[in-house]
Amino acid sequence: MSAAAHTHDHAHDHAHDHHEPGFWGKYIFSTDHKTIGIQYAISGLLFLLFGFFLMLLMRWSIAYPGQPIPGFQVINSIPGVSWVFNEMIGRWAPGGVVNGELYNMLGAMHGTIMVFLGIVPLGFAGFVNFVMPLQIGTIDMAFPRLNMWSYWLFFVSGIGMLASFFLGTGSVQTGWTMYSPLASTTSLAVTNIWLHGHTWWLLSMVFNISASLLGSVNVITTIINLRAKGLTWMRMSFFCWAMFIVAFLLLLAFPPLEVAALLQLSDRVFGSSFFLPTGLMEGGQHLDISGGGSPLLYQHLFWFLAHPEVYVLILPAFAILAEVIPANTRRPLWGYKAMVYAGLTLGFLSFLVWAHHMYLTGMGTMMSTYFQITTVLISVPSVILLTCLMISLWGGSIRFTPQMLFASAFLPMFGIGGLTGLPLAFTFIDLALHDTYYVIGHFHYVVAPGTIFGLFAGVYHWYPKATGRIMNDFLGKLHFWPSLVGMNLIFAPMFIQGMGGFHRRWYDGGKYFEQTSSVSNWFTELTSGVFGLFGMNVPNNLLGLNVLMTFGAIILMLGQVPFILNFWLSIKGGKKVKNDNPWDCTTLEWATPTPPPHGNFTFDIVAVRGPYEYSVPGLGQDFFPQWESSPGKAAEPSAVPAAPAAAAHH
Amino acid sequence: MDIPYTVTARPDTGLYNAKVGIWLFLASEVMLFGGLFSSYIFLRVGADYPWPVHELNVTLGFVNTLVLIGSSVTVLLAWANLKLRNIGKYKMYMVITVLCAGAFMVNKSFEYKAKFQHYSVTLTDGTILTGHLPHGYEIEFGDVTTLNLTVAGKHSAVDADPVDYVVPYIKGEAPKFKTESGEEIVLDKASFKKLRAEAHDKAVAKAKADGLKETPNWNVKLTAASPITFVLPPSKLLAKPTPGATAIAFRDGTTVEGKMINDKMTLEVDGIDLRATPDKEKSLAFDEHYLGEPWKKAFIDQREHAIAEFNEKYGDGKGGTTRDPLKSATHQKHMFFVPIHSATPEVHDHAKAEGEHKAEAHAPAEHAEGGHGGHHPEVHLERQHVHFFSNFTPKLNSYYAIYFVLTGLHGLHVVAGAMVLGYFVFFNGRMLREDPERLANRVEVGGLFWHFVDLVWIFLFPLLYLL
Amino acid sequence: MADSPQEIQKQVKKILLIGAILIFFTVVTVALSYVELPSHSLNIIVGMILATIKAALVALVFMHLNHEAKLVYKILAFTVAFVLALFLLFYFSVSDPLVFKDF
Repeated sequence: MSAAAHTHDHAHDHAHDHHEPGFWGKYIFSTDHKTIGIQYAISGLLFLLFGFFLMLLMRWSIAYPGQPIPGFQVINSIPGVSWVFNEMIGRWAPGGVVNGELYNMLGAMHGTIMVFLGIVPLGFAGFVNFVMPLQIGTIDMAFPRLNMWSYWLFFVSGIGMLASFFLGTGSVQTGWTMYSPLASTTSLAVTNIWLHGHTWWLLSMVFNISASLLGSVNVITTIINLRAKGLTWMRMSFFCWAMFIVAFLLLLAFPPLEVAALLQLSDRVFGSSFFLPTGLMEGGQHLDISGGGSPLLYQHLFWFLAHPEVYVLILPAFAILAEVIPANTRRPLWGYKAMVYAGLTLGFLSFLVWAHHMYLTGMGTMMSTYFQITTVLISVPSVILLTCLMISLWGGSIRFTPQMLFASAFLPMFGIGGLTGLPLAFTFIDLALHDTYYVIGHFHYVVAPGTIFGLFAGVYHWYPKATGRIMNDFLGKLHFWPSLVGMNLIFAPMFIQGMGGFHRRWYDGGKYFEQTSSVSNWFTELTSGVFGLFGMNVPNNLLGLNVLMTFGAIILMLGQVPFILNFWLSIKGGKKVKNDNPWDCTTLEWATPTPPPHGNFTFDIVAVRGPYEYSVPGLGQDFFPQWESSPGKAAEPSAVPAAPAAAAHH
Repeated sequence: MDIPYTVTARPDTGLYNAKVGIWLFLASEVMLFGGLFSSYIFLRVGADYPWPVHELNVTLGFVNTLVLIGSSVTVLLAWANLKLRNIGKYKMYMVITVLCAGAFMVNKSFEYKAKFQHYSVTLTDGTILTGHLPHGYEIEFGDVTTLNLTVAGKHSAVDADPVDYVVPYIKGEAPKFKTESGEEIVLDKASFKKLRAEAHDKAVAKAKADGLKETPNWNVKLTAASPITFVLPPSKLLAKPTPGATAIAFRDGTTVEGKMINDKMTLEVDGIDLRATPDKEKSLAFDEHYLGEPWKKAFIDQREHAIAEFNEKYGDGKGGTTRDPLKSATHQKHMFFVPIHSATPEVHDHAKAEGEHKAEAHAPAEHAEGGHGGHHPEVHLERQHVHFFSNFTPKLNSYYAIYFVLTGLHGLHVVAGAMVLGYFVFFNGRMLREDPERLANRVEVGGLFWHFVDLVWIFLFPLLYLL
Repeated sequence: MADSPQEIQKQVKKILLIGAILIFFTVVTVALSYVELPSHSLNIIVGMILATIKAALVALVFMHLNHEAKLVYKILAFTVAFVLALFLLFYFSVSDPLVFKDF
């Protein structure tokens, strides 16, 4: 019987190979790298938007503690929407006032969603899947079916995270870092521990990690083995290099987080004490645990991932900028080789700096000293990357397209984020600033106006390749300026508050910490004065900055409306591209038809030169594509000598 | 349109795609187990209790090592035979490999089962008694006449559900209950649904009348027609009941008031661990209600014997020893861990006890199957004397925690590997006929994973079983 | 990579030999664990050295790492470096050699 079933199965498979896939095969369960890339990118954008709304609720609670969320009545009166809203959020906001429990959920989920479900899927998975195989001149990823699995595992993890809001416990409340012992012992007194937001968070993370494992194996294999003829390592675009490094970070750094998640799950569900020290008490009672573990172990495992994760977040932005800046300045990328080596060094060092997040744990003198040294070291390659991009602007004839605006804003914004991080590398300064808004400001400058601006630049840059139409320029600028202003209004005051001692987890924004919040300086006076001009009564001390930041968040929110309109409307209504290479770029992805069909290239593509040959003197045009032997003429495959065989070790 | 280098190697890298992929995957696996092994190091270096050595069943572990090494050899032989196109032999070796994986898991399940049935009880003075709970551990709480249910006003993690979380633990037949309105009901799904709806209506009405912003929780009292006694394991409660508690809370938030009738723990003792007891001879274990004088004497005998043996072995001829007895974990164990193999102490049989204790430190799980009580003294521990108890699961200590996580995750890898190899031999028939070279690549790649599983075990076995 | 039938035949013999060596080392490991060396740490070190030898045999012969493409070595070199960093830094964070105990 089984033999017959097999033949049947095979016949079925066979039939599939030769037919155009239907709607499901083409758009949903597709194995085509471009579709998967777009799936990842759109999911990532949606999650970013969702995470942003969680942040808006938090900012409201900080600036106006005890006051109902605006529009609460309106949302509550729409049938259906009100049910969803109440099950997710309203349950913890009696009368629309965010309580501490809800604030903790919002904080934990904002971090998780932005990092693991927003930026990584969009910045890494989305762009790498769509662009990288095109850019190295191949037809698809090395393992297309694994690629599809990767997306759907990610999808399950996203659904798990969202669904955890609807559980009886609500979603997880212990911050995106899930520090034990709090995270191991809190809210265990529930009817069913498996229906707990925390449990779902941990399980979702296991799915997320599996997805990124499959994705990164795929990316690395593709880059290693499927590069087009003639595309040597040093002819590969910096985009692919950076993604290659990111894939390695994901591959090697995520497993220890998986260990941390599994051990914490064991602590919570099976009562073990991996992260619980002996004699731990809660509410004056000894807990029913054996002890013998250590909270430090959790932090080690967590930060072993979470520090490389920082570079997973930032490198895709550098990758995109390395394409966008040369294309819009019409100059070669300055210091391509230096950037490649800096990227590799950065990737390597990023595994050896993790415990600078843990100076306050009392690790010991030697450990602190070691991690201070490596942390200071790692700023060198970061600065090289940023400097190379800045020098690339020098002497260029810059086209200020929306992507270039975002790219040029990235440079100073990331610079602020990076430089404010330097003091934190030193134990003694970190002791004072740890867990204050200073830290929040620092890393948000890196990832929000940093990475996210880079990702926006990427969306504007490759949108024509994916759809055949260009996003509207005016709406793009209408997106850029409010975003820039909003981001800075949110994050710059955080440095001032942080140095004043504002703790990052105050859900009421510091209202009850008068000693700290009553401090005022010229900036708070100015803020109060400016709001006063509009007839608003804003305190002239550090509390007033909360209102300023919340206004920044609202400006940022309004700034995203043009983007959302632009993104969806341009699919049908955007200006059609004039040819397959609308930005006059040099890398291989612009050699495909627009949008690229299944299989990508219509001719046998080879690479005959480096990736950034702009403004070559004496050439009739200001760009010289990698695949052309002379302007307008594709190189013949026979022009490229076959790569020498690698000598196997014996 | 085919993806290049699925079968042949790319000239400049010398590798086909799947091989690059599997090595990357294995690199990630190295980090996964690296994270676990570094946790092991961390927990062991920081342990504040004697780290168990030779406590697991070494024979089972040894057999499993042989099984895995054997299967690693057979998977290679399968690959070699496929390369030579000896299809029969290829299939045979693949099947043997999969069977080895099965044997490994069967062995493992014996090991796990013994652990689940074996208990360790820490008394308040630090003495640890190990043994079996012939009936599990259940408390008896009686004299209950009223159930206090809390119907949550909003969707919440703890919400009244007495039919699933309270009624099953009633001793004997569940009585009828009287509601606040005087109605007599049998507490089942249908009647509780009705009760709940009424409570909710009242809560909503109250919220409206008082102008509250949200529906409050509503308490419902159910009075039993006759007093109820509950019999249940304490793990089914929201919080561990204190000794002599007069109220307990079930996992659905229902509270009851009454009297603790019995919370004693009946343990068939198979070992006394006095290493953490400050005053060993006055240990609670030797209380006259528990093990009593005879076992105390047995302990003193054993300790003297161990000291004599130690002095003989490491004596420096000048009355001292060449080794610090305080620093020898083995010596500490010989002195202060008393294995129990009989209902009453056998005074003259030290040599035998030593030998057995070495070989199967706690294997008694197996002989518990035979008959209860006969082989081991039985004690009835007062709840207030028990500081902590657990079966030999992750809860017991960090050693068992890391043991279960490491071996469990390794076991999952064994299962996954067997599934992959089984898929190749049972479901890749067409590829075997049409493209055997590609199948050989698959088997090679699957084999690489299988060797990695073997490699992890090579470290696991000594770290957990031997050292 | 051995692809000709003769070489594969030769490999089969090698595989069986290595299998036997592995079993031998396992027996040695078990036996040595019952011998009380001057300190238990020494037992652990000896046991781990034996395990490392076994693991090396598996990796080199069974997993063909004695003749693999350069690229695989590069990937593994980084992985091994990071695992060692994990082990060492975890170890030092529990017992920091620079802490003054008699302070």
